Amino acid sequence: MTEPLGLIAGFLLFFALFVYTFWPQRHLASQREQTRLDDLLERKEQLSEDLRDLSFEFHAGKYSEEDYQTQRAQLESETARLLVEVEHLQQA
Amino acid sequence: MAVFGSFALLIALALAAYNLVAGGLALRLIATKQPTAVAPERLAETARRAGIASFVAVTAAAVALLWAIFANDFSIAYILEHSNRSLPAAYKFSALWAGQEGSLLLWAWLLGAFGLILRRPRGLDKLYACASDILAGIEVFFLLLLCFPATPFALIPGYVAGGPIPADGNGLNPLLQYPEMVLHPSLLYLGYVGFSVPFAFALASLIVRDSGERWLRITRRWTMASWLFLTLGIFLGMHWAYAVLGWGGYWSWDPVENASLMPWLTGTALLHSTIMQERKSMMKSWNIWLIFSTFLLTLLGTMLTRGGLVSSVHAFAASSIGYWFLAFIVIVLAVCLFAYLPQRKAMKSVRQVDSLLSRESSFLFGCMVLLAACFVILWGTLSPTLSGLISGSKVTIGAPWYNSVAVPIGLFLLFLAGVGPLLPWRATLLKSIRHNLALPAAVFCFTMPVCGAMGLRVWPNGTFDRGNFYALLAFALAAGVLTAICSEFLRGILVIAKESGRNLVWAKYRLIRGNPRRYGGYTVHLGVALVVVGLAGAAFNRSVESEMEINDRISIGPYTLECAGFTQDSNANYDSEYTLLNVSKNGKELFQMTPEKRLYHASEQPQTMVAIHSTPAWDLYVVFEGMNPDTGQPVIKAMLNPLVSWIWAGVLVMLLGTLVSLVPKQRTVDSGQQTVQKTPEDFE
Repeated sequence: MTEPLGLIAGFLLFFALFVYTFWPQRHLASQREQTRLDDLLERKEQLSEDLRDLSFEFHAGKYSEEDYQTQRAQLESETARLLVEVEHLQQA
Repeated sequence: MAVFGSFALLIALALAAYNLVAGGLALRLIATKQPTAVAPERLAETARRAGIASFVAVTAAAVALLWAIFANDFSIAYILEHSNRSLPAAYKFSALWAGQEGSLLLWAWLLGAFGLILRRPRGLDKLYACASDILAGIEVFFLLLLCFPATPFALIPGYVAGGPIPADGNGLNPLLQYPEMVLHPSLLYLGYVGFSVPFAFALASLIVRDSGERWLRITRRWTMASWLFLTLGIFLGMHWAYAVLGWGGYWSWDPVENASLMPWLTGTALLHSTIMQERKSMMKSWNIWLIFSTFLLTLLGTMLTRGGLVSSVHAFAASSIGYWFLAFIVIVLAVCLFAYLPQRKAMKSVRQVDSLLSRESSFLFGCMVLLAACFVILWGTLSPTLSGLISGSKVTIGAPWYNSVAVPIGLFLLFLAGVGPLLPWRATLLKSIRHNLALPAAVFCFTMPVCGAMGLRVWPNGTFDRGNFYALLAFALAAGVLTAICSEFLRGILVIAKESGRNLVWAKYRLIRGNPRRYGGYTVHLGVALVVVGLAGAAFNRSVESEMEINDRISIGPYTLECAGFTQDSNANYDSEYTLLNVSKNGKELFQMTPEKRLYHASEQPQTMVAIHSTPAWDLYVVFEGMNPDTGQPVIKAMLNPLVSWIWAGVLVMLLGTLVSLVPKQRTVDSGQQTVQKTPEDFE
């Protein structure tokens, strides 16, 4: 490619990309922000997963009965506290 | 092509700079809610499109350079230095990243390509918009390099349009004319550049104050894929060093090798500690700083490889752009600190580790040990440069120093790779842990005397042999880890098979589909154990070197090598000399090996092509070292390297495990069967 041809191709590329960048866009949407409720619902999902995991590992023989009951009670208690807050926020 | 390519790079720089400035301004206007003539959403949209347009312009520049390489346009200095007319097409393609300017262009192109994926239309999401902005900032840096100190389209000195140009180029470095070298740099760069994406999201989450684990969830697969590319790149580099350099090893603790290992170590720590944040809301600051460190180390790696900061056999393109990188690293570090400090209280962990004997603590230990390993390697890598700056005399740090520090750390990591999966989450009773560890511990103890019986002696001649001791420990630990991981799989499979009443193969499928991330991760641990077995085999390498006439024989291990003759060959790219060696075992002829010596025409550099015969037990590795100038006889070096193929097999297992981890989790229960089919997900 000769120098003048290279320049012409460069200008064409510049023009095409300029038009693409600044071409008017009709529909401009924005996403809503993450709220405390979203965080709590994510955490609830994670706690459900932790409970399922605990149960599976207990069945697989990784926990004694005593360990299992203690940890299950801890996770359930945390889930209950979280559900109270979720309910409170949803009502508000 | 040079004019068009330079023009395209300038356009790309302008667009990336617009993306950075307009994107930042739009986010600022949205945050402050100031009334403006142009809607901030509109400004953000033009910034997003500028990012995409910048990628198109970089692609145009890359295509222009490739076109010029294939057209043998030796008026461009880069092509004159890294290509020649008779270079095979695959190597002409790899010449694109063989030199400093081309490899920086590859960096910029990959960054643009990753940005393209993130910049697809999704409405204005502040986290995505800010991450896109940060990627644009990184892109601006690389495009500045490409437009000014390291332009790939610079013309040869004294060239005028239409004037004479050299008839042929200097050719690609012979060390790079090897199939792995077509893939190795691009895979490494995919890993390096890939870590830019989680870095951008982590920094963006601090800047836009996006609480929670959203950035982790968005980038989880990016991080895994980047880690995989970096892993493959490192191991391909090791295989290249093994098959090309002719010294029989694969890792020499060279600064450039270390440069790729350091982000791999912090990236590995990140992959583990993100699980802690997602599951337990712990280690938030750790994760932020792990990804910051990983990104900074990828920049350091690029600087070491391309910037001429350290001397290395792998630094194929040393130059003075090191100062640009140094300045950029300082700027990035400052931005990270300014973004982190106001948010540090929000980064505090919700929970603490309940017990030392829990999976949480094993993750924490693992991360700390990986960081310690990274720091040690960083210290060793930079010591010669730092000591030169401080005292004026360079302190040289060699492989023995690295081995004395890194091998014990590596063995401890292997121990954690086996123990970690066996420990339950949160605090547990000691009897549960004893129950889980009993079998792997028994296998560990059993392997030691077995290795002793097979001839592995820690006190071979009444004196302690540290190499043998580490090898013994590595074999025993690897056996323990393999047992631990297999027992984890088996437990899960048996539970699902029992609950569902289906066969073990189906149960295994359900187990993995139910939690691919966990079981893919366990598979990676299996691969690591296999790699360690292969590495430990190096303690038993043997070699023999001899001049050989026709019908001369040398023996190594069970093999006898007989010289059957010599031959020569020539093509447009190089001349070569071969030695023909018939290999026999117990008097039975097995195969022929042809170690080779090449002389490349364009660069007039010699290159050794090693002949390797691989089996699961060992590699027979033969090097034609050239002619003895005094006697005129060929010198042959034969090596027997035990268990090397286990390294490459382990890498394939790691690849498989990471691919499994990348598969989305199956949440639904197949209820089409009469019996209820349970997965780990259904146990509640």
